[in-house]
Amino acid sequence: MPNKKLISIILGVMCFALTLGIVVQVRTIRNTNSTIGQNQEANELRDEILRYKERYDNRFAELERAEEELEKEREEATQNNSELEQAQQQITKGNKLTGMTEVTGPGVIITLKDGTGIATSTLNPSQLIVHDIDVLSVVNELINAGAEAISINDQRWVLTTAISCRGNTIDINGERIGAPFVIKAIGLPEYLAGLERVGGYLEYMKRDGVGVSLERSNSITIPKYSGAINFEYLQNVEE
Amino acid sequence: MKKGKIAMTITIGIACFALVTVMMMQFKVVNETDITAIEEMQESELKTELANWKSRYEEIDAQYQEVTQRIEEYKNDEESNSEASQLVQEELEQTNTLLGLTDVHGEGIVITLKSGENTAAISADDLLIIVNALKFAGAEAISINDQRIINTTDIVYITSGDFIKVNGQRILEPYVIKVIGNQSHMESAVTGTGGKVDELQALDHTVTIEKDNDITIGKYDGEIETRYIE
Repeated sequence: MPNKKLISIILGVMCFALTLGIVVQVRTIRNTNSTIGQNQEANELRDEILRYKERYDNRFAELERAEEELEKEREEATQNNSELEQAQQQITKGNKLTGMTEVTGPGVIITLKDGTGIATSTLNPSQLIVHDIDVLSVVNELINAGAEAISINDQRWVLTTAISCRGNTIDINGERIGAPFVIKAIGLPEYLAGLERVGGYLEYMKRDGVGVSLERSNSITIPKYSGAINFEYLQNVEE
Repeated sequence: MKKGKIAMTITIGIACFALVTVMMMQFKVVNETDITAIEEMQESELKTELANWKSRYEEIDAQYQEVTQRIEEYKNDEESNSEASQLVQEELEQTNTLLGLTDVHGEGIVITLKSGENTAAISADDLLIIVNALKFAGAEAISINDQRIINTTDIVYITSGDFIKVNGQRILEPYVIKVIGNQSHMESAVTGTGGKVDELQALDHTVTIEKDNDITIGKYDGEIETRYIE
């Protein structure tokens, strides 16, 4: 008999928890809908953004597959000719360097977080925040330390990559990203870890109260560039 | 009695399972709708964001068309060796252009910077910020004192010698930044309120900007080595 009572209580508690969970979820979704429902024109814009985002995602996946196929075709077409084979290898290596393919290797992962300290009269609150110039300086130092590939929150650093401030977030490769910033770099870990040296930029940021961490890794994967580089004004000089 | 108990347990089990599944699904839906960011945006921001995604889609679509066309060309030219050779050479040239290993020319601007005498000299950071602003405005090729800016270019100040190094090479004043790209975009990237050139001029440095309809920028003259990426 007491057993039955126990089961009833357990069931009661479970039902209560589940119901609570569902109510919370339904409420969340209803809230979301109510904000969306505010303005017809803005809604349409949001819909269209999501549509384009989806189209972009699909095309990007197709592009990745097509590039793999192209590499196979190229390999096949060049396999019987040593000169062409060399050119083919140069293209493959070049694609890794320019950011057109995913790469892996040893390196470091640097994380920059906005500081949590309370701004005092001597401490400028703006110092606690990671700025675009901070990310730019870290990337510059990583290259100086021999980094061969770099990404910031999985946005590959390529020839045309710029970092720009946009309110609380930064804009990189057309993507808006916010703190924490995770900067991955492939290269000799010992050299790259040299960024932590006294007088280096990381130490400078730490002193300002920014959350900085550096971690070595034997295997880092850096994704391919999320866009395409097309030249409109530039031409090669004919030889 | 016993049968009833088993039936009840099973029923409750199924009910619980169904509920948990529904909850999981809901969590997933909430997670996947990563619309929170665009939800908070105002209409003008949404328009910018839409233009951004449109152009990103078009960029990636053009690249996709190009790649698929190439695949077709390779497939059609399987028999002929000379055509395959031409295709590979074309691809190699394109890769080398992206790497900065070719001489290039086109319209753009030339920015010349010279430090003022009674003020702190123009720094490596100043140059880094100018290069970044030019890239953001769509620069297609940049050089500083004929050092080509590639994706692994560093611009650093060498304390011991009091000079700046670009690509590991020492550069001296005046700094001449050549950039190929849309002339008015390039100019407005560094001038006006918040522009680095205006800021440097206010600090008594001498900065001139010249438009040029055919600038030539030399190739990166070094080996780009890779030892760690695979």
